[in-house]
Amino acid sequence: MKKNLILSITILVLLGGCAQKAPNLSGNVSDATGFNGESVSTADGSGISSPNGAMIDGRYNSSSDGFQSIYFSFGAYNVESDMYSYIAKNAENIENIGGSQIKIEGNCDEFGTDEYNYALGLKRAKAVKEALVSKGISEDKFVLVSLGESSPVCNEPTEICYSRNRRVDLRVSR
Amino acid sequence: MKKFLIFLFVSSFIFSADAKFSIEKGGDARKSIAIIEANDSLGGSKGDTFYSILLADMKVSGHFLPSKEKIQGDFHSTVIPANLKSYQYILKYKLTTEAGLSLYVALYNASNGSAIFQKSYNMNSQSKYPFLAHKAISDINDALKLESIEWINRYVIFSRYTEPRKSEIVLADYTFNYQKTIIKGGLNLFPKWGDKDQKSFYYTSFSGKLPTLYRLNIYNGKKDAIATSAGMLVCSDVSKNGEKILATMAPEGQPDIYEIDVMSGAKKRITNFGGIDVGGRYVDDESRIVFVSNRLGYANIFKQSINGSSVVPVVNRGKNNNQCDAFGGKIVYASRETSSASSGNTFNLYLANSNGGNIYPLTASGENQYPRFSTNGKVVLFVKNSRNGSQIGYINLETKQSELFSLGGKKVQSIDW
Repeated sequence: MKKNLILSITILVLLGGCAQKAPNLSGNVSDATGFNGESVSTADGSGISSPNGAMIDGRYNSSSDGFQSIYFSFGAYNVESDMYSYIAKNAENIENIGGSQIKIEGNCDEFGTDEYNYALGLKRAKAVKEALVSKGISEDKFVLVSLGESSPVCNEPTEICYSRNRRVDLRVSR
Repeated sequence: MKKFLIFLFVSSFIFSADAKFSIEKGGDARKSIAIIEANDSLGGSKGDTFYSILLADMKVSGHFLPSKEKIQGDFHSTVIPANLKSYQYILKYKLTTEAGLSLYVALYNASNGSAIFQKSYNMNSQSKYPFLAHKAISDINDALKLESIEWINRYVIFSRYTEPRKSEIVLADYTFNYQKTIIKGGLNLFPKWGDKDQKSFYYTSFSGKLPTLYRLNIYNGKKDAIATSAGMLVCSDVSKNGEKILATMAPEGQPDIYEIDVMSGAKKRITNFGGIDVGGRYVDDESRIVFVSNRLGYANIFKQSINGSSVVPVVNRGKNNNQCDAFGGKIVYASRETSSASSGNTFNLYLANSNGGNIYPLTASGENQYPRFSTNGKVVLFVKNSRNGSQIGYINLETKQSELFSLGGKKVQSIDW
């Protein structure tokens, strides 16, 4: 008997046993507060048709309604001299179109960050607007919007591709 | 199930592999803890993921050193195995599908077997099961009287591009095992929580002729139009009481920072510069803002009083510091380390005080952006982008502990938590 008792104690010690009450969880069920509320799902807008930026007559263009896209250098928002002829053609096109409002969309490559990239796109759109105003077009003619990096016409990791995304597109506002 | 297939859990130690960041801490104060999954706990991929979430919660808290191997045992056993006696604590848990989803947890002192904490949790929605894990670990943390990790219970909200000119706004837990698309169908960007309880958020919609800022209640769907602006419109910060917001607007095509009274709609222009001013964040008890501006010819962080016009640069290093967040007397900012399109796209994160002193690098390689402080300022969330998609990282500023979670192939546009 004594032998059995010693054996039992030894086994308990070897097992490292440590008796405690099992948790009594009945009646202790609580809601993980706040996580049962189901959130809504909604739709907002159907998206805007994206430009294809195809090459026409030896140059890329992702504008529509007879306009020509204006391209920018990395990080810049000034209209460069090689774009002046396109500004002149766009001004001529506005005169031909007549009363419609013109939407000027500023775009960027992927080398920027959220708000700053949208502001950069906007500065590009503003620069094109001011260039057109200098050609005699009324300021009231334009609606400006920045699309940041959300509307790329090209997704390849090459400088040629990036440069096609640093642009301002023009189209009739509908 | 799809979410589990998409989801890739990546546990990594940014500091050892990717960062020079160094905040010394005397000894390892983390509590060693063995995790025992009940033999009859829910198995399969959900069971495995649940276990990995518990581990992630413990690691990222910086307070626990969990056992490396998954241990299984009897939830109701009164015996603590000898090989677990070297731990400080034993956590037993059981996940079941009774009444939706239920979780039972019990925490013991490993040396004497005394029960420290016992609780059960239940929820109707099985899809939100990651929050059960977060809530349990957060409660255990509190039971041990450790510094609060309440932030792991919060929602993360983010926007991501789905195709050109289209995006979606998604609600998630911080590990991204739970994800629910809240808004889809157009170009909706820049989500920002509108109150501390995360009942509503602001976002910019491009569905109309001009960008419009809305506030959406995520529980009843109530949507309020707050402002409209030509060019761009982004809510970049919300005051503590939720009554005012900082927004980047361009009513005349010029991006500047405004403060908007949400109730009255009154707008107050804070910055006035012919270049770019964006990303305003309240600092110094909301008497000043820090923001990003190119007024010195490159993007950098500046500070200005809400009621004054004097502007001072905050950061004196780097030539392209184009994002920042603020908490109390600290800022965290992203700096582009490369200067042209052809030289790649490396962004690193830096921690500094709001006067620009004590700059510490937090990352050392990759494209690390969108830094956001946790509600207690102890952890920084960030997005690590690559051509293959986005990962979300968390850096515990005190303990150096960090975690990365993969979000798959779609690029994150903006994020808040």
